[in-house]
Amino acid sequence: MLKTRQFLTLAQMTAVEAIRQPICLLLAISGIILTGITPLVVIYKFGEDGKLARDSGLAFHLIFGLIIAAYSASTSLAKELRTGTASSILSKPVSRNTLFLAKFTGITSVIILFSITAIAATMLSERIDQKFIFTNTMSGYFTDWHTGILLLAAPFVALLLAGIINYITRRPFESFAFMLLVTCVLGAFVISGFFDRIGHLAPLDYQVDWRLLPAGLLITAALIVITAIATTISTRFNTVLTITSCMAILMIGLVADYVLGHNANSSYLTSGIYKLIPNWQNFWVSDALTGGGHIPWNYVATTFIYAATYTAGVLCLGILSFKHKEVT
Amino acid sequence: MKSLQPTPTPIVQINTLTKIFRDFWHRPKARAVNNLSLNIYPGEIFGLLGPNGSGKSTTIKILLGLLHPSSGTVTVLGSKPQNVITKNEIGYLPEESHLYKHLTARESLDFYGKLFDINKEERRKRTDELLDMVGLTHAADRMIGEFSKGMARRIGLAQALINDPKLIILDEPTSGLDPIGCRQVKDLIIALAKRGKTILLSSHLLADVEDVCDQVTILFNGSIRASGSVTQLLEKRDSIRLTIPTLSPEKLKEVLNVIRKKIGSEPEIDHPSLNLEQFFLQVVAKANETEAENMSGAASDTKVAAFLKTENQQPKINN
Ligand SMILES: Nc1ncnc2c1ncn2[C@@H]1O[C@H](COP(=O)(O)OP(=O)(O)OP(=O)(O)O)[C@@H](O)[C@H]1O
Ligand SMILES: [Mg+2]
Repeated sequence: MLKTRQFLTLAQMTAVEAIRQPICLLLAISGIILTGITPLVVIYKFGEDGKLARDSGLAFHLIFGLIIAAYSASTSLAKELRTGTASSILSKPVSRNTLFLAKFTGITSVIILFSITAIAATMLSERIDQKFIFTNTMSGYFTDWHTGILLLAAPFVALLLAGIINYITRRPFESFAFMLLVTCVLGAFVISGFFDRIGHLAPLDYQVDWRLLPAGLLITAALIVITAIATTISTRFNTVLTITSCMAILMIGLVADYVLGHNANSSYLTSGIYKLIPNWQNFWVSDALTGGGHIPWNYVATTFIYAATYTAGVLCLGILSFKHKEVT
Repeated sequence: MKSLQPTPTPIVQINTLTKIFRDFWHRPKARAVNNLSLNIYPGEIFGLLGPNGSGKSTTIKILLGLLHPSSGTVTVLGSKPQNVITKNEIGYLPEESHLYKHLTARESLDFYGKLFDINKEERRKRTDELLDMVGLTHAADRMIGEFSKGMARRIGLAQALINDPKLIILDEPTSGLDPIGCRQVKDLIIALAKRGKTILLSSHLLADVEDVCDQVTILFNGSIRASGSVTQLLEKRDSIRLTIPTLSPEKLKEVLNVIRKKIGSEPEIDHPSLNLEQFFLQVVAKANETEAENMSGAASDTKVAAFLKTENQQPKINN
């Protein structure tokens, strides 16, 4: 009971501290705006419907998510250790495991909030992208400008509201802006279900590509894995070293298939590295969507189990490392 | 001859403690504590005195399980410093006030309260009482980030007491406080000790320690250079001081002649002076009488938050 309350209190504090970082807000807003603007400005007539928006939306989700995850997770515990709030907390009846896992959970909840926003934005972006429309009054390639304006307005509305709240209540701007960004993009998604591609009223007709949901969930899983890695490394190293090692693990994981995949069984060393480094290819399924392909839900389930196992293993290392860490 | 009173078991026992800081490659960097042994008994105000870098904070952090001893043993409230349960009985004021800057004073205290088994109502009550005690009721809803150093320090002191601890560890409690604040903190420490709390405080300000501590240990370079009760350490047994009203020159001469005859040597004469602290407090007390209404900084009489129990009311902890 007490442990649960401590855990939730610390996790919530971690999340709030993370979204108070201006860089977190900046990255989230950039990700959403880029996702929304790409289908409007890039002319891509002869390809497959919506491919550009799908690919770029998922890519922005992954890239901006990775930076938010790596940055927040590397700075969170490190900052508490540096400024001494960690020693204040550990002088209360809080075990080190509780603190460490609360740190991970707090950042993970920020990542989940960002991912929900990014997935909604990607779906809207796919809807905006040029499609061939054929009705009894018209036919041709149409860009869904209504949805485009709706999605691009969301970040600005969020910033405006956060400014007003900051003016009235004097509470921190960044955290409110982040939460409002999530709310506004979701709001835009809900509203988009009330009109069709040409702008006619069409209640509860969501003209979005639901195949993007499993694709986005897989990317979210990858982001949680990198959060676990960064949190664990940050028990021992400073922020710069942590971010550098995260990037190294990312790079190796990306090329693992090409470099090590085909000779994974040739030596213990290569097969060891191949198994230890997370294989990011598992989480990137955009290519499978091309040509109307579907992502089977049991593939999603398998990959989630892989991610969960990997995360659990990494967190165990983190707990061991933090247990004996000296806190000054 | 056996003493009739049983010796109480110490609350803190440190036995031949050594702490060597090492770098990443495990090479020794600094020997912060060197073969230190001491006991702190229930109800004592124990002062750890020493110049900068003498190992006071390091010793305290080892007591809290934040740092690990290189050798030697440490027992706090009957168990190892790493024991999470005993932390329920400990209050700690770190050397620098470690607080979340975006929280208000009230939210901070509530945050720390949530880490203990204290229910919501009780937390609110304690928060109010502690804010009143440290004189920050009027700033309760301002963010800590905007606080002056001394104001943050006061919140630090309040958070150390939120769990009504049995053992209170204060690392330089008066650093950053104005003289009135210092006086209040010292009075508070004495009041807490009267309620049966055990207090360990570190300082390099001699006046702090002299005013409040029963037992003093002077550290230098990580090892003990002197220890004992304050009166024991400071008493000059071979001389006495006589304070009398100012006399006319003739009368003074007469008195001195008598004294010279009796002791056979020249006595020392000077005007007793207030020390600056006493003088400052007098000035402020006078100003306070006239301008009590419009204070903008921190204010407080020395009152102790009511929830801080006296020791015999306190439930015994079982180790
Ligand atoms: N994290 C650390 N790494 C390396 N050396 C350290 C560390 N912390 C303290 N030291 C060293 O240990 C010694 C004792 O430091 P400590 O902080 O205990 O002193 P202190 O008595 O509290 O001094 P002050 O009055 O300045 O607070 C110093 O020589 C210091 O340089
Ligand atoms: Mg110190």
